[in-house]
This record gives sequence, C-alpha cells and structure tokens, in this order.
Amino acid sequence: MPMGERRPLLFWAGCALLAGFVLAAALAPLLSPYDPTLSTGRPLLSPTVEHPLGTNDIGQDMLSRLLYGARTSLVVAAVVALISTALSWLVGLTAGFFRLAEGPLMALVDLLLALPGIPLYLLIVTLIGPSRLNLILTLALLSWPAFARVVRSIVIQTRSAPYVEAARALGPTGAYIVRRHVLPATLGVLPTKVTLTVRFAVFSEATLAFLGLADSGSVSWGTMLSEAFNDPLLFSRPVWPWLVLPPTLAITALILAATWLSSGIESLPGTARRFPDSTAIQQTPSSERRNRVLLPRPAKRQWRR
Amino acid sequence: MSSDLLRLVARYTLLVIAVVLLNFFLPRLLPGDPLSFSSGEGMDLAAPLSDQAKEQLRSYYRLDRSMGHQLLSYLADLGRGDLGWSISRPAPVAALLLDRLPWTLGLLLVSLLISATLGTALGVAAGWSMRGFRDRLLVSLTSMLAAIPEFLVAIGLLLFFAVGLGWFPLLGGQSPFSAYDGATGWGRRGLDIGWHLSLPAATLVLAGVAGFLLIARDATVGVHREPWIVVARAKGLREREIALRHVLPNVALPLLTFFALRLGAVLGGALVVERVFNVPGLGLLAYQAIRARDYPVLQALFLLSSLGVLAASFGVELVYLRLDRRRGLVAHG
Repeated sequence: MPMGERRPLLFWAGCALLAGFVLAAALAPLLSPYDPTLSTGRPLLSPTVEHPLGTNDIGQDMLSRLLYGARTSLVVAAVVALISTALSWLVGLTAGFFRLAEGPLMALVDLLLALPGIPLYLLIVTLIGPSRLNLILTLALLSWPAFARVVRSIVIQTRSAPYVEAARALGPTGAYIVRRHVLPATLGVLPTKVTLTVRFAVFSEATLAFLGLADSGSVSWGTMLSEAFNDPLLFSRPVWPWLVLPPTLAITALILAATWLSSGIESLPGTARRFPDSTAIQQTPSSERRNRVLLPRPAKRQWRR
Repeated sequence: MSSDLLRLVARYTLLVIAVVLLNFFLPRLLPGDPLSFSSGEGMDLAAPLSDQAKEQLRSYYRLDRSMGHQLLSYLADLGRGDLGWSISRPAPVAALLLDRLPWTLGLLLVSLLISATLGTALGVAAGWSMRGFRDRLLVSLTSMLAAIPEFLVAIGLLLFFAVGLGWFPLLGGQSPFSAYDGATGWGRRGLDIGWHLSLPAATLVLAGVAGFLLIARDATVGVHREPWIVVARAKGLREREIALRHVLPNVALPLLTFFALRLGAVLGGALVVERVFNVPGLGLLAYQAIRARDYPVLQALFLLSSLGVLAASFGVELVYLRLDRRRGLVAHG
C-alpha cells in the first residue's frame, strides 16, 4: 500500500478521536445536562441554552442522548471485540494444530461465512429479543470465522517452521507448543482483528438499531436516527438537522477512528499488511517465507504418535 | 475436472441443507418460544392472546407435535413453496416476499454491476499509475467511503441531493397516485422508478466500489510489469488496448470471486438503504416485520437471502471452474 509515511499521522488522529469518545462515554453522567431517557423540554426544540442540541419528538435532550449513546456503542464494541477475538484465536489455533478438529471447525467457518449477515442478525435478534446482552452475544458469536481462518493459515505455515520442529523434538505436549511457539507467530494480526471488529460492532449495532432492533430502554445513536426517520414529515420540520446530523456524525467519526487506527497499525513493521479477506490470507512475513523454501518439509504426521 | 465439479456440487448441497436446517432449528432452539414472543408475553400489552388462541396457534404451527414430525412437515411445506402465514398481515409469507423481491433484486443487481464496472475501471487506472497521485487519491477516497455504513452514506446523499438540491424525490419507489396508461405508460413508469431509485443505487455503488477498486488495483499492479505486457507495448499497442486485452483478463478472476463474496454484504446494505428511502422492497418489509414482531417473515427472508447468496456464489464457482479449465488447457498446450 502507498502512503507509508502518512499512516502514523492518521493513526494518531484515530487514537485521539477514540480517546475523545471514551472520555465522553465515561463522563456522560457528569457532562450531560439531563437524564437522556426523560422528557425534559418541549418536543422538537431547536438548540437553546438549556438544550444545546435541541430536543427530539418526545422532548428528550439530544446532547444527553448523544453522550449516553457513546456508552452503548463503546460497550458493545469492546465486549464484541473481546469475545470475537478470543473465539477467532481459539478456533484458529485448534483447527490449525489439531487435525481431528480441523474438518468440523472449518465446515462451521465455511457455513457462517456463506450466510448473509444482516438477515441472519435480524432473525436471531428478533427471536431472542433485542436486549443489549443478546445483541452483543449475537454479534460476537457470529463474527469470529473470518479471522479464525486467518489464524489457522498462519498456524499451518508455522507448524512446519524449524523452530517448531526443534521444540517438538523435545517432546512437550501439543498445547504447550501452541502456547509457547505458535501463538506468538499469530499475534501480528491481532491489532487488525481488534480494530476491524470494533468497526464491525459499531457498524452493526447502529444498523440494527436503525432497523428497529434495539433495547427500548437504552440510548443509542442508531436508535436516535431510527426515531428521527420514523417521522414521515421529518424534512419538513426546521429542526431536522439537529435530529439527523449529530448521531450521523458521531457514528461516522467513531468508525473512521477505528479505521484510521487499524490502517496505522497495518503500516507498522512486522504486522499483516493487508485487509485479511479470503483473497489475501496467504500473506506471511517474508522471513517465514524464506524458511519455508530453505528447509525440507517434514513428512506428514511424523511428529504425532 | 469432473471430480472438481462433483466436489463443488457436493459442498453446495451440504451448505443448502445446512441453511434449511438452520432455518428450521433457529426459532426452535434459541431461548424464547416464538409464540410467547409474538403474543407479547411478559410485556404490558393491552390485549394479550387468550390461552385458547395460543393453543390454536400452537397446533397451527404444529408446535405440539414431535420435533421429527415438525421437521418433516416443514420440509414438505418448503417443497411446495409454502413459507407459512405472516403474523401481521393477512397474506402468505411467500407472496409478501415475492411482491417485494423485484425492488430489492433490481437495486442489488444494478448497483453491483455499476460498482463492479466502475471499480474495475478505476482500479486498473489506479494500478497503472501505482503510487502516483491518482492511485493515492482513489485508494484513500474509496476506502474512506467504504468505512462508513451504508445507511449513513444514504442519509448523506438524501440530505444533499434530495433535501438540499431537490433533484431527487425524498422517499418511495415511485410517485404516488400516478396512473400510467397509453402507449408510453410503461416507459414513463420505468423512468419514474429509475428516478426514485437513483439515490439508493448510488448509495450502494459508493459503499461497494472500494472493494472492487482495491482488488482490480492489486491485480493490475501484479501484472503490469510482466513480460507479455512489455511485449504488447513493444508491438506498439496503445495503452488502452493493453489494459483492455492484456490486463483485464487477469483481473477478471479475483474480481469474480469478490463479486460473489460481496453479495451478502450488499444485500444487507440494500435492506438498510431501503428503510432510509422508503423503497418498498425486502428491507422495508423486514423493518415492518421487526416492528410487528412478525418472525415468519424474517425467517423466510433469511432463508431466501441465504439461498440466493449460495446460488450466486455457486454460479461464480462454476464460471471459475470453466475459466480455470480453459487456462489449464492452454498451459498444457
């Protein structure tokens, strides 16, 4: 990719932006002038001193809702990223190193990757109810396959590397080799996975909330937009920019922050350089590629009694 | 080669079976009974279902029978194209879906074709001037656009072109209360629909073009210093001819794969974009079904879209196999 020199700048911009959101979310109770779930003013007010971003159709303060919305987005993003990343690595390492598990696990990965995401989330979240926990679980349990495949491909390349061969000769358990020697080789793609999943989670939470799937009690940017668009006369009201623009800009800014962060990480040396979709999985650090060429491959299954 | 075909067919048969089974088991195995869910149990509804009505529904959906019986009758219904009745509307789900399908499918295909063509052209152009100004500009601009969710792009376009400039209609798939008759009725109706769908389609193109551009760019960068390109240039071919005849065929295969991969994502985007513009397609149906807690509609939507995506990627893999075989023949002389 070009722009190698520019990346660090964007990376820091992403960091700063994200830090701003985290701060806003953490300090939401202090910063927001009103309770975001209560009606505290006349409906559909344009910005005033009391309501700096105006009020919505039932008189809730938009600034408070925007601040508390950051909480929803960040909590969903953080938990989904954590669970999804852990699952990716668990499945990828298992499938790459223990061949008995490889068939069934990869079949599951293939199936999940073949399904269209949004219709599946719509069905599941509608069935189990759109509470925040259910939303998080759905997004987390369905977003691990792509990187499970990436991790597995790295493991497959690593397991025949000379240092793993050498370790194996000492006779430790498979789990020890994975933890001590294979896992570190896969950590290069970890930051990419985390930032991409954060982006995915913010994106999906907002999209589902916009389609009407959100906790009725919680405040989220997607819900704010969904409420605005429920009004068929939205654009004939003078207040519409204040209903539409703040949540739109907030979602865009948070997603851009994650994108910049990930593009900054990708440009650092020694990490995966590309968006790892299935067409670009084969990429490995050049040192590993060299090893593979120089050293004879071990006979299949030789190491396993 | 036929063994490849066999393996392909076997894999997709398994995937289709898995999707159908998933569609059957999801509502039954997930926590929460679909019936208690759609009857509003545990919520303060003014008129909860009576026990008798629940019993009737339970027996109508065969929830009182054994799982095996349910599965068999579900498969039989599916074979007849019967997807059950909608909970919120007095119509069979299959009819509702078929009614809305043309809107979504049209939107999907048009925007995919445009973004594939545009993305390829721009991608080859970008790859040709690798690391040049044009390359940097195109890559960073489109990646930025791809990072924004479709419905935000849609809102942006709506605000600018429909609310601000007033060039396009605010919402709907066609002008309301207009009758089209006479010899030119069809044409005028088509134009009206096209005018209404321009912004939704443009949204999907903007959101989808980046992937095609990046793939085409990388493939172009991969080949544009290859010896046969040098030979073509030495023959005196013009740059455009080199790009069309010698670069494009090499870009085609990865693009084809990506086309199939994108389909599911673009479908999701189309569903959301329809809500922004009130296009009466599957997305708006899904939105109304969510509000009415009409889960048979969502279930059918999931089945239809997964089978559609599977069918499309199967088609792409067939083409791939064919192209690959031809390449193999050439290579072996």
